[in-house]
Amino acid sequence: MKKVLRYSLLLTALTLVMASCQKDDTDMDDIIAEYQVEPVEVELDFSALTEAPDVPVTDENDSAFNDYVENSPWNKVIGIAFDGENATVSGSVPGVMVRQQGAHLTIMNISGPVKFVVSGKTNNGSIKFYGDKRFQVLLSGAEITNPNGAAINNQGGKTMYVVLDDGTVNRLQDGENYVMVDEEDQKAALFSEGQIVFSGHGELSVIAVGRGGIRSDDYIRIRPGVKIHVNSSALDGLRANDGIIVDGGVLNIETTGAGAKGVRSGGVMTVNGGRMIALCAGDSRTELEDDGMTDTTACAALYCDSLLTVNGGVLKFKATGDGGKGLNGKWNVDIRGGSFFAVATGTREVKKPKGVKLDGSLNISGGYFYSYSKRSDPVETGGMLNVAPGYTTYSHGPKVVTIAF
Amino acid sequence: MLLCAVMLPLQSRADDSGLIVSAEASHKIKKGLNVDFGTEFRSRNHFRTADRVSFGASISYKVLPWLKASGGYDLLIDNNHEKITYQDDGVSYNNWRPSYWGVRHRFNVTLTGSYKVQRVEFSLRERWQYTYRPSKIIDNFDFDEGEWEDHEVRGKGKNMLRSRLQVEWDIPKFKFDPYASVEFHTARELEKTRFIVGVDHTIKKTHNFKLYYRYQNVNGNGDDDEPNIHMVGLGYTYKF
Repeated sequence: MKKVLRYSLLLTALTLVMASCQKDDTDMDDIIAEYQVEPVEVELDFSALTEAPDVPVTDENDSAFNDYVENSPWNKVIGIAFDGENATVSGSVPGVMVRQQGAHLTIMNISGPVKFVVSGKTNNGSIKFYGDKRFQVLLSGAEITNPNGAAINNQGGKTMYVVLDDGTVNRLQDGENYVMVDEEDQKAALFSEGQIVFSGHGELSVIAVGRGGIRSDDYIRIRPGVKIHVNSSALDGLRANDGIIVDGGVLNIETTGAGAKGVRSGGVMTVNGGRMIALCAGDSRTELEDDGMTDTTACAALYCDSLLTVNGGVLKFKATGDGGKGLNGKWNVDIRGGSFFAVATGTREVKKPKGVKLDGSLNISGGYFYSYSKRSDPVETGGMLNVAPGYTTYSHGPKVVTIAF
Repeated sequence: MLLCAVMLPLQSRADDSGLIVSAEASHKIKKGLNVDFGTEFRSRNHFRTADRVSFGASISYKVLPWLKASGGYDLLIDNNHEKITYQDDGVSYNNWRPSYWGVRHRFNVTLTGSYKVQRVEFSLRERWQYTYRPSKIIDNFDFDEGEWEDHEVRGKGKNMLRSRLQVEWDIPKFKFDPYASVEFHTARELEKTRFIVGVDHTIKKTHNFKLYYRYQNVNGNGDDDEPNIHMVGLGYTYKF
């Protein structure tokens, strides 16, 4: 009996020891999988884009009528052919005065709509326009580098139509040190006080090393057919104070400057088509204000001060710097169509990197929405996240939000 | 009664339960001088998870008929509990360190005084122990980064004073000797208290078996993240 008792105890002990092989950790596999998800690839894409025909507005009462270069007469033409340190100006238009210093041209236009056909290459040249008349710059194989400022600078307040001649490749580049003129702005390699409307079926590459890439103190409109590539190592890639309208085109924008924005719209931004991709690699920037306080700003692939409406097109934004946002919006965002991707993969040492950060609401009623943040919230809204009925996908994880219609 | 003592506290949700199995060899070198070698296994998580394996050696000397002094070393191989930390919002995960096996080295010096009143023996054991945990690199999942990273558990030492008061009853013509004890573990403050009731059974002065119930109440925030635990202990000692 005693032996039975002893062996029973021994057997019980051995059984319990052998049974103690189970882990007592929390089952984290599924949770970790949600955190380890990799973002969709967002890279520059220069491939051709098939777009619907670009039909100009013909109604003079339409507010966009004057944005179409086709709606102005262009019988007044001046040719500018750069050739190294010099430029040849051909043609004469009453009311248009050209002052030339080597390959640096200053043009006063009081004539009305004038087309400037620009071609040739210079490593030390520029064009500066004055006058409150709209004009057209037809870039027809132009390569302009200005070591001391903007390559093209419009000081007039009217529309500058930048037309990329079919099949041509054009390049504009600024310099590291801008030589400023009193009471004149010069904020980018391609700068305009007035609105800029891009059209045509050519290519434009803008390299910015001193300030921004393309900037308007008014608004910018981009029409189907254009191919624009902006590489800015200093300030914002593409920026407009009063709004941006993207009807189409292929836009590739990359910035590396601290606190720089890939695309920045100070006014309402509307995207109707095309493909816009912005990569923003800069870290946060801290500046000392006049009042002695410091202000820290993170980079953002897209920064919008006002309403952003997406009706169509493909938009991809990626920020890889510290605290960088895919989209940083100060008001509402309405996505009604197209595809919208925002990715933030930066560190969170100074600022929190978020896929989408809005002060207002995010309203999604169509298209495809994707936002990813590697180290913070994929979506943060100061308002509401409103998703209309009829969606086919609504996935909200710790790193990714996907909504599709 | 012992079964009741084991089962009743199991109803408590927060408390854990486990097993202690030990085997020991004790050799008498000369009168009053003994060396002991032993090994122990512990489980937790209601007997489902291995908690510790240890190996130890000690030497003891009976200084006086009522006073014994001893010193020893134990190699502890612990299955350390997982650790989850949260963001400031208290909900979002911050880090997860899964459970991991690590070693500790423990040294102790003990004085035991005993006093017998007829067949009841009272003893007071005072043990100072120093435990050193070497540093170790382990896996840690950082939810902010969304990736596994190496995390160093830093090496550290800890002093502890263990005070145990025990009473054992030698019942005439009965092969089982019941006993009960209470033990306090004090570092900078009282960290845990152990209550034990059990029986000893010795066969021909060579084989000693022990069956006991132990309840450990954790009072402070020790390093081990130990919960309160009910344990069933089975021990065997071979004396030669």
